[in-house]
Amino acid sequence: MSRHASRVYRVALGITRSSADAEEVVQDVFLQIVHKGAGFEGRAALGSWIYRITTNVSLNKRRGKRRELETSLEDLLPRYKADGHREGDRAFLLADWSSMPDRELLAGESRRILEEALDRLPDHYRAVLVLKDVEELSSEEVAEAVGDSVAAVKTRLHRARMALREQLTRRLGAGR
Amino acid sequence: MSCRELIAVLDDYLEGTLAADLRRELERHLAECPPCRAYLATYRRTREVAAAAANVVVPEELKARLRRLLGVSRAG
Repeated sequence: MSRHASRVYRVALGITRSSADAEEVVQDVFLQIVHKGAGFEGRAALGSWIYRITTNVSLNKRRGKRRELETSLEDLLPRYKADGHREGDRAFLLADWSSMPDRELLAGESRRILEEALDRLPDHYRAVLVLKDVEELSSEEVAEAVGDSVAAVKTRLHRARMALREQLTRRLGAGR
Repeated sequence: MSCRELIAVLDDYLEGTLAADLRRELERHLAECPPCRAYLATYRRTREVAAAAANVVVPEELKARLRRLLGVSRAG
């Protein structure tokens, strides 16, 4: 129970960004597990079903709750010149905050910046991000969980990571 | 390979699934392009830090509620 609860809670919180909503999702999913009972062919079937149902319930929970913070992803993707070089101020293009340690990135002001950057991603982008980068599912498993093609999942994941990187670099990268 | 083309295949490069000739081209570009080196380093770090931030533990109170829920369902 504990292992499934952890998975469901991580995915639900990653998508809904609200602990109250995530707790409701966990309860809904567990009720469905109980009702389904022995209807699973095995542990693997239960595992992939859990990710699918958790993603669906979490996205449904978010419906109609899109936050003001959420911005257009297009504004957060790299822009290029006609020759394929990136556009932008040289200092920004060279900004590299990657050597900041976890204890610094995951606390205080940096943590707040990171959480806001995650909030700004559209729900479906956060869903693939959490399933791939936190749960470490394969692209095929993520595609099954979100009900989309592997190609669509890979594209969405890349755009989500780029948008997140862009936001972090705009706010953490100055002077580095 | 341009910066645009490099960024487009970054995930395949990091996953180790990029074809060998493309990987060599990408690494040649990286050797000569400081902005792309910074992009790669921060892109990789973004993945790590986002995963670390989302790695939360289930609140004890919720676990207790689930145990009650499962107990009631099984008893019923």
